[in-house]
Amino acid sequence: MEKAITIKNLKYQYDQNQPLFDGLNLNIEQGQWVALVGHNGSGKSTLAKLILGLLVADEGEIAVLGQTLSEDSVDEIRGQIGMVFQNPDNQFVGATVADDVAFGLENLEVPSEAMSAKIQAALEVVGMEEFTDREPHHLSGGQKQRVALASVLALEPKIIILDEATAMLDPDGRQMVQATLKKLKQLYGSELTLITITHDMDEASLADRVVVVNDGQLVMDGQPNQVFAQGATLAKIGLELPFSMQLIQRLDPRPQNYMNQQELLAWLSPLNK
Amino acid sequence: MNSIVIGRYIPGNSWIHRLDPRTKIILTFVYIMILLFANSWGTYLVATIFLAGVIYLTKQPLNLYWQGIKPILWLILFTVILQIFFTDGQPVLWQWRFIKVTLPGLINAIYVVIRFVLIILMSTIMTLTTPPTSIASALESLLGPLKKLKVPVAELALMLSIALRFVPLLMDETQKIMNAQKSRGMSFSTGGPIKRAKAVVPLLVPLFVGALQRALDLANAMEVRGFKDADHRTRYRILAYHRADYISGLMMVLFIIVFSLINLKGW
Repeated sequence: MEKAITIKNLKYQYDQNQPLFDGLNLNIEQGQWVALVGHNGSGKSTLAKLILGLLVADEGEIAVLGQTLSEDSVDEIRGQIGMVFQNPDNQFVGATVADDVAFGLENLEVPSEAMSAKIQAALEVVGMEEFTDREPHHLSGGQKQRVALASVLALEPKIIILDEATAMLDPDGRQMVQATLKKLKQLYGSELTLITITHDMDEASLADRVVVVNDGQLVMDGQPNQVFAQGATLAKIGLELPFSMQLIQRLDPRPQNYMNQQELLAWLSPLNK
Repeated sequence: MNSIVIGRYIPGNSWIHRLDPRTKIILTFVYIMILLFANSWGTYLVATIFLAGVIYLTKQPLNLYWQGIKPILWLILFTVILQIFFTDGQPVLWQWRFIKVTLPGLINAIYVVIRFVLIILMSTIMTLTTPPTSIASALESLLGPLKKLKVPVAELALMLSIALRFVPLLMDETQKIMNAQKSRGMSFSTGGPIKRAKAVVPLLVPLFVGALQRALDLANAMEVRGFKDADHRTRYRILAYHRADYISGLMMVLFIIVFSLINLKGW
């Protein structure tokens, strides 16, 4: 199967003496849900911007769905990738929810008659269909991020990147967005590659694969339970384990594998008797 | 900050709300132009009746319109004083040195007040019933012919609508920064004018830095969603004139005819 994203020997630096990426290699399969985790300044957001061509790499090759990123292909590649940013307010272009979803469609020169149906469909997927004519300052952060997700979905991308999309949200909003992501994954399955950039390990635990980045290096790469099993290494680079894992470590006797909250609850409940 | 009515949009579904924004802009403009020809009690009376009809059709509480006039009361008062004391003519009602009050001056002053209030109210009706983005797209449509003169109308309209979209956000941010600074002992309302002006600087710097960051983020978000330039885009909201627009156009023509007749007769 064709790779969704291939990164070969990527080099990039913000200023002369401090290379951020010095020969990074990463492959992401189509249909995978990959969580890219790392503490602030580890380079994970920069990586997303490089993939989208918002920043230009100094050296190396980035290919999206088999197409190498270059000045000529950047528009086409952006057409395949949708991105949701951190700040819910700063990516809301339209005056109302519907206008915001329409913005991307307008750019693609979708005929006006076809827009309403697409907007409605995208808003239904994220559960915001009742807010069509709402203005952004009457929405919560979680709702705005779901609208941002709908704006991206309306463009029917193959890959969606969420760059710390839940970092500025309250717990409720975060949960709403994460639930929406799970729903997306169920709906589109292997049609959609999802990349969530985050430092929230509970969010990372939802993914199929967790890639840990530190100082521009890939430190760990594997299924969530494999990565979370190495708590000491994670702690060393300033990352916290998911809540359930922190709890497991304080238990005695304790389960040998990583468990999410539900699994852990199930494991604990017989002991309660 | 919620007391500012000028330029504020109140969502609704009245007859006036549903009019095409272009209709509202053109008719407001025509009404204000016509008003400049008013020169008698009769003409002001029809203009007032017409406006009252429009206000009735907006289905908004009258108090809202009063809020719209309040902030410019001082300006009206100032003009009235100028009119009353510095208009020449006969008969002179009262005089002290070079300052005198004449009957034409008094009448003029009343005319000016009415004219002022009518103009403000009509513009308030337009902004009150039309979402800012609709005004932006109406302007884009109305100024369309300027594209031939290489005026970037589409870009300007997009800039305008984005600017309007960020107004409430920046207001919130201003309030937050002010609160943060007040909590650390800054005062924005005491001291002389110089001290107050100085107090604004530490407010503006974070506000500008924040606005620039927002602009960068927004540019990224727009680019990622495929924005290249403002010309090669389709439109989600298509402006179209409906029956109501023709009817209101007709009402305006009727108003102009009645107005002109009264104006000619000098009633």
